[in-house]
Amino acid sequence: MSTFNEFVSTLKNDLLDFAKENLEEYKDEILKDGILFIEKAKSDLERWTEGLASGALSKADFEFLLKGKKDLAQMEALKQLGLSKIRITKITNGIIDVVVGSAVKTFL
Amino acid sequence: MTTKTKLLPVLSALTLSLTLWFCSSISVFSPEAYKQAVDLKVESLDLMSFATMPYADYEEEVIYLNTELDKAFEFSKGRPDNEISTEQWEILINEEGNLLGGFLKRWETEGSLSEMFVTEMQILISDAFDTIIGLESGKIDPSEFK
Repeated sequence: MSTFNEFVSTLKNDLLDFAKENLEEYKDEILKDGILFIEKAKSDLERWTEGLASGALSKADFEFLLKGKKDLAQMEALKQLGLSKIRITKITNGIIDVVVGSAVKTFL
Repeated sequence: MTTKTKLLPVLSALTLSLTLWFCSSISVFSPEAYKQAVDLKVESLDLMSFATMPYADYEEEVIYLNTELDKAFEFSKGRPDNEISTEQWEILINEEGNLLGGFLKRWETEGSLSEMFVTEMQILISDAFDTIIGLESGKIDPSEFK
């Protein structure tokens, strides 16, 4: 029983280290992608309003571009959703490795 | 039976079942799908640059590109657990939408398009393809599971 308690304690520490390393990295990555998208949308809008004012873009062009940006945002959101699923898969594989590693350290 | 011998088969079964369950939630990386998206990005942006000229002069090229885009969509749809990528393709090529499908339809309807509109749409379409390419390249290589 004491060996099993030792295993649980080792596992807790190993999982904590794993979570600290991985979750921080993923959080930064998601935040960076989001900020980049907003900044790009802002500069696009500036150019398009200038184009509309100068006559380089028609009202229909401007509207089409705005709707296109909305469609693109949807595609970006899908990419992030897919990447999140991939991260979950990678984290799960990592957790499995940690559990097996802790068990091997304790029992073998 | 000792704790050690009892625990190891349980861990092995847990490892296998969790791996199989999570692997099935999203498709693995496909080099073919990746190449298809990269090639179509280049071909689409290239053809779009002619949209300031009469559509009639490029009708054949547009029909060809649309067929290639449909093939990519069908390929994506046919892959298991690939709903997210398929939805991306659907948005990109939808004629009623406002990305590549809508752009090509508008070119056909209006005959030719303004230079700034074409340039700005090329930026959007390039980014749109990058979302597909970015997701595909982020997928786990099947060899990682071996």
